[in-house]
Amino acid sequence: MRLSIINGSPRGASGNTEKLLEYFIKGFLETEGNSVETVNSIKGRPEFTKEREMFLDAERLLIAFPLYVDAMPGSVKELIESFEPLKGKNPSLRLMFMTQCGFPETHHTRFVARYCEKLVKRLGCMFSGTILKGGCEGLTVQPPALVEKVFQRFYQLGKAYGESGELDSVILAKLAHPEHLTPENLKQVIPMVNNFLWDGMMKKNNALDKSFNKPYDENL
Amino acid sequence: MKILFMNGSSAGSAMNSYIRSVMNSVEATGHEAGELVLRDMNYSPCRGCFNCWVKTPGLCVFKDDGDTLCREFLAADIVVLASPVIMGYPAALVKNALDRIIPLIHPYLEDVGGEVHHMKRYKKYPQLALLLEKSGDTDEEDIEIINEIFLRAAINLQSSLKFLKLTNSPAEEAVNAIINY
Repeated sequence: MRLSIINGSPRGASGNTEKLLEYFIKGFLETEGNSVETVNSIKGRPEFTKEREMFLDAERLLIAFPLYVDAMPGSVKELIESFEPLKGKNPSLRLMFMTQCGFPETHHTRFVARYCEKLVKRLGCMFSGTILKGGCEGLTVQPPALVEKVFQRFYQLGKAYGESGELDSVILAKLAHPEHLTPENLKQVIPMVNNFLWDGMMKKNNALDKSFNKPYDENL
Repeated sequence: MKILFMNGSSAGSAMNSYIRSVMNSVEATGHEAGELVLRDMNYSPCRGCFNCWVKTPGLCVFKDDGDTLCREFLAADIVVLASPVIMGYPAALVKNALDRIIPLIHPYLEDVGGEVHHMKRYKKYPQLALLLEKSGDTDEEDIEIINEIFLRAAINLQSSLKFLKLTNSPAEEAVNAIINY
């Protein structure tokens, strides 16, 4: 099985999207004969020559991106616009998406997921599903055991996909958990992210005292 | 009221004169209307480095027109995102502009109606509105999907979505929606 991947993360190889993809790919390659080609679309803008070739040539294509302002990053929208002339040109392409967000709840990604499914129809391809995962900001400061569990699930998802050519709905559902947080969870998670992740990063940059700086005038 | 039009259309588009006529009518009612012609501005896509949250809070590391986007956005009472619908979504020009205004909010999370969203950095934020020009392949479902996503984006930008109008309706409809007649 041949899988093509476009990593749409503006952070490229240093981002969380890349990290999750790494495990998915590792699992996918467990099946003998499987192969993967990957590109980072932020490097391809604004022509996206390689990405458009990939779209036309691929049997299976995964487009992965982080959630930016509740949708795809602007650079991924540029990529999608570059695909407009390719509508209907690869009808046997199995196209799928992966969207991760920093918010702890996966629910935030559901809206752009609906867009992605419609996009597959618009491009005249076959929809192969969407991998959705919340809670991905600060993977580096989360408890290692928790992070390892997420990585293992991506590995398992990739492995199952490499064997069957389908995304496993049971693993997808596990990854999407939690869809929402309970009021108790909200009370725990919010201060944890604010104090450990954000304050930690601000402290490292000697910026904690400037945290609420307002460089623009709101009373113009 | 100060109404800012973020114009995401191309140079030859009929949308430019449509926006102009909405702006003229809005000004005729005594409100202030400003326009940012996005295609004439120079701003990089957000690279997600978060320096605007954790290193130079409130300011992007890129020294480009992203600064103007932030300043003008914050100073407005209503921001009208005016754009063609391309491949079922507003133009990348508009999305890149929106991605660049995240310095205006704070990284801290808070509970907003039982969900996690970002905290305010400033006291007040403009209301958002969408003025969209359909393309040949735009259908009702696309408009519904865009509306859903922007209702969500408005929550995260500490704003609300005032209206979504299409340019195949008379300009007066958009004008009325802006000035609340």
